[in-house]
Amino acid sequence: MARMSVPSFFAAASAFALLAACSGGAENGAEDSAADTPAEIEQRQDNFKAIGDSFKAIREQLETDAPDFAVITPAAADINERLQRLPDLFPDGTSVEAGYDTEALATIWEDPEGFAEAIENGVAASADMMAAAATGDPEAVGGQVGNLGLNGCKACHEKYRVDDE
Amino acid sequence: MTSDQVEPSLVQEPIAKTHSVRIWDWPVRLTHWSFALLLPAMWVTADSSQWGWHMRLGHVLLALIIFRILWGLIGTDTARFSSFVKGPGALLKYLRGGYPHKQHKGHTPLGALAVLALLGLTLAQVSMGLFAGDPFDGATGPLNSLVGVGTADFLTDTHEWFYWVVFGMVGLHITAVGLYGAFQAQNLIGPMVGGTGEKALSVADNSPAPWSRALGALAVSAGLAFWVYLGVPRPI
Repeated sequence: MARMSVPSFFAAASAFALLAACSGGAENGAEDSAADTPAEIEQRQDNFKAIGDSFKAIREQLETDAPDFAVITPAAADINERLQRLPDLFPDGTSVEAGYDTEALATIWEDPEGFAEAIENGVAASADMMAAAATGDPEAVGGQVGNLGLNGCKACHEKYRVDDE
Repeated sequence: MTSDQVEPSLVQEPIAKTHSVRIWDWPVRLTHWSFALLLPAMWVTADSSQWGWHMRLGHVLLALIIFRILWGLIGTDTARFSSFVKGPGALLKYLRGGYPHKQHKGHTPLGALAVLALLGLTLAQVSMGLFAGDPFDGATGPLNSLVGVGTADFLTDTHEWFYWVVFGMVGLHITAVGLYGAFQAQNLIGPMVGGTGEKALSVADNSPAPWSRALGALAVSAGLAFWVYLGVPRPI
């Protein structure tokens, strides 16, 4: 009885292998077209990653008993400087809908004013964070973490980045 | 297939008599093939940033791993860890060859290691995912807030490459099944599908799988996974 069903499971296994090959092929395809991919996509991803790292460095310090402002102050400045680069990192049509390996939604270019405002909000929040860091008061920085995280990062992600849910 | 019609004098070699025995119970087979579907699904949903589905399926996977571990304690003979996890002595003996596969049903000493590695690595990967993410940056696992930012970041980064280890082990497992089929003419897939395989007459059926026990274990594991999904709230 068991032997009867074996060929069908070899077929299933082959289908699985084919699927794996297909997804591998798709990845290769993306690499092939890497030459046509605007450099800004990778630049903005690296930039966001660095912003995230600096933001986490600040929050990590705030979790300690004695937050180190030698870490917090330059990290806050780094976030502010990197957020100001964003307007140049979203060339027209570099959306996930256009087939690029990105989480940037086409909404960015359909609503350029809203996107510009979202960036400005982030830049402003990060400037407030720098000001808080300059006071040397961990609680002031902590308040700005929530402000920057929710009104800067999250507010923009919810509108202009691929849905999380 | 039977040699009943063959004159005994014409038989060149003694034909080892076999019969069909039950090897794998239905919970083992169901969890096995669920893993085979869910692991690629976890990869695909992560690759396409479908975090909602990635996390929902991750909790289904968590429930199934917990179920398989429970079933390894209270399940049928071939499902129990105590029946197939052997010491290094048995493993070395197995690796030297001559293991009478027809005389045994269930995992070999080497196959037992594969079971532990597959379950353990997948559980580790799922567990890291529960803590992964950043509350200001998209989806987070339900236990993210229980650890510090640095720990969550480390677990997130590790979760993002550790799937290679999991799929490496899956690849090794599939390769081994293929090699046993090719070089030892052992059909390992059939029994994992249908539950039965050809074994020597001395080999008895696996013990029956009691529905009540299986459903009880399933309820406990689904409940645990759902509790984790809710962020392990205190009962009160």
